[in-house]
Amino acid sequence: MSLDLTRVASQVESMVSRLKAGVSERHQRLERALGVLGDEANDIERLRHKVSHSKTTWLVAGLAESLGQHYPPPPCPPEFTVIAVDGSHIEVDRHRSARCYLINLGSVILRYGADPAAVLDSLPRLYSEDKDLLIVPGMAGGREQPVEGALLGIKRGVEECRRLAELAGGLASDGPALALLDGSLVLWGLEAYPEFVTEALLSKGFLSYLDDIRRLNNSGKRRALASYISFPRSTDVVNVLRLVLCPHELADCDRYCPGGEKRECDAVSGVRDSELFYQTLGQGERSALFISRSSVVEKHYGRHQVYFFYLNTGDEIARVEMPQWAALDGGLLDLAHALALDQCRRGNGYPVALSEAHEQAVVATADREQFWQLVEASLADERLPFLTSAKSLSKRTRWI
Amino acid sequence: MGEVVEASTADFVAQCYELYQLPPLGSLVKTRDQEVELYGVVCNATTAGLEPGRRPIARGRDEATEEAVYQSSPQLMKLLRSEFSVLVAAHRQEGKLYHYLPPKPARIHSFVYQCPPAEVKELSQSLDFLTVLLNARLPVSPEELIAACLRHMGQAQEDRRAFLVAAGKELAVLLGDEPNRLRAVLGRIKP
Repeated sequence: MSLDLTRVASQVESMVSRLKAGVSERHQRLERALGVLGDEANDIERLRHKVSHSKTTWLVAGLAESLGQHYPPPPCPPEFTVIAVDGSHIEVDRHRSARCYLINLGSVILRYGADPAAVLDSLPRLYSEDKDLLIVPGMAGGREQPVEGALLGIKRGVEECRRLAELAGGLASDGPALALLDGSLVLWGLEAYPEFVTEALLSKGFLSYLDDIRRLNNSGKRRALASYISFPRSTDVVNVLRLVLCPHELADCDRYCPGGEKRECDAVSGVRDSELFYQTLGQGERSALFISRSSVVEKHYGRHQVYFFYLNTGDEIARVEMPQWAALDGGLLDLAHALALDQCRRGNGYPVALSEAHEQAVVATADREQFWQLVEASLADERLPFLTSAKSLSKRTRWI
Repeated sequence: MGEVVEASTADFVAQCYELYQLPPLGSLVKTRDQEVELYGVVCNATTAGLEPGRRPIARGRDEATEEAVYQSSPQLMKLLRSEFSVLVAAHRQEGKLYHYLPPKPARIHSFVYQCPPAEVKELSQSLDFLTVLLNARLPVSPEELIAACLRHMGQAQEDRRAFLVAAGKELAVLLGDEPNRLRAVLGRIKP
């Protein structure tokens, strides 16, 4: 039975009328947030102290400079390269006989200037060995973690970064280059897993690849690294404004405002950072630099601590994240600002390198089915038994 | 110049290695199925997006020249492809040239080469291929294709005029009861 849309329609209607009723309140909150952001009286040092010593139930951005700073786009260098990697994967299917997963990495190298060129590539890799399928605890003890679901998503992100570092390292040109990833540099999901998983995927994986890219800059080359988030829903900066509004010297949500009491800081709650910067940033401008204070970053990222700024691309407000070493190098920061904007201009609002990397990586539904057919046909060729669950079979051969 | 990506007994489609490096309409190309060499006439060509779901969009509004469109989006060269279709007209087996269809179609990924003038001259010694071209179902009109092919073959002859006159006579026989079609071809190959 397909989805009964007539039954859904009335529910959609009530959702829309609820949203409509909230429009004027949201507008008031946004106005209030803009007022706080633009208030010259905000003492940056005091605020910085409050940010780092408060205990809040929401994530607050760290401040690298004063809140309302904004910067016009720097010029693009005459010659430059943009590298991007994106991935997609075929999940482990417990209803199939062979336990394996596949990660397809799409990559793009675009060279601009007097001698433009493009390299588009996709690299599929099948993972089926025990070391790929499980992360084991080693000496520390604990339960081994199967690489599937959310953990496979994180593993894919690590592999994307590995490929990016490989491509950045192999770049023949000496000119400036920007290496781009899609999404956040913060591997949020790791917070839910034991320490040995973080060790395997983050310290020995993701961060070591970021470090490979950082070291490329030691030889005099300029290799910036950034990740790009389109339509960000984050509220880290608005949450700084909540701290400004908080009447206590240091905020402690659980202590001062337990339960559902009305709080002063609610005057700006529900506003997204992107809404705020949509009002304050001119076309092509970027916001001040902020610092991610997520626990996984503070605990593990070290010199790769994640900085971010918002960018008015002309079509939307995007969030651009950079590791500390790149964000605090004025040249690399300007390079990322200029090239991210230029990529959006060339890509109708979204970085062209990322959208082409995505096109290279994408695994369509038909490809997934063909992949499993190939696996099962190969098992059959070798006379290996392949058992498929009754549930999987019933989904594939539908009857009445 | 390209590689076979689709093949049947009477024709094949080849993709160019370089975008827009297409052989001219009516020119002669060759490919190989193991020991058999296949010869054919280029009967159509297209350039389009690599993936069927992705159509190119207009990009030149802010560019000064057409070349600048490609300069500012270097990925375009990798996302478009040029293909040409070839009507198989002859084959060579064990050194001997036959002016009719080969026993098997070309293989996928066989390399496709432009025929050198000496081979064009050799192939044009028999005009049997005209029947093949006249009866083929093509996206371009057979008269247009035959004329292009004869002009191309004419360039490889020492006596171009004599070759075109002989071809005209052959066409007069083949199209004896279709004067309009005959006129259409002859009008396009006037020496």
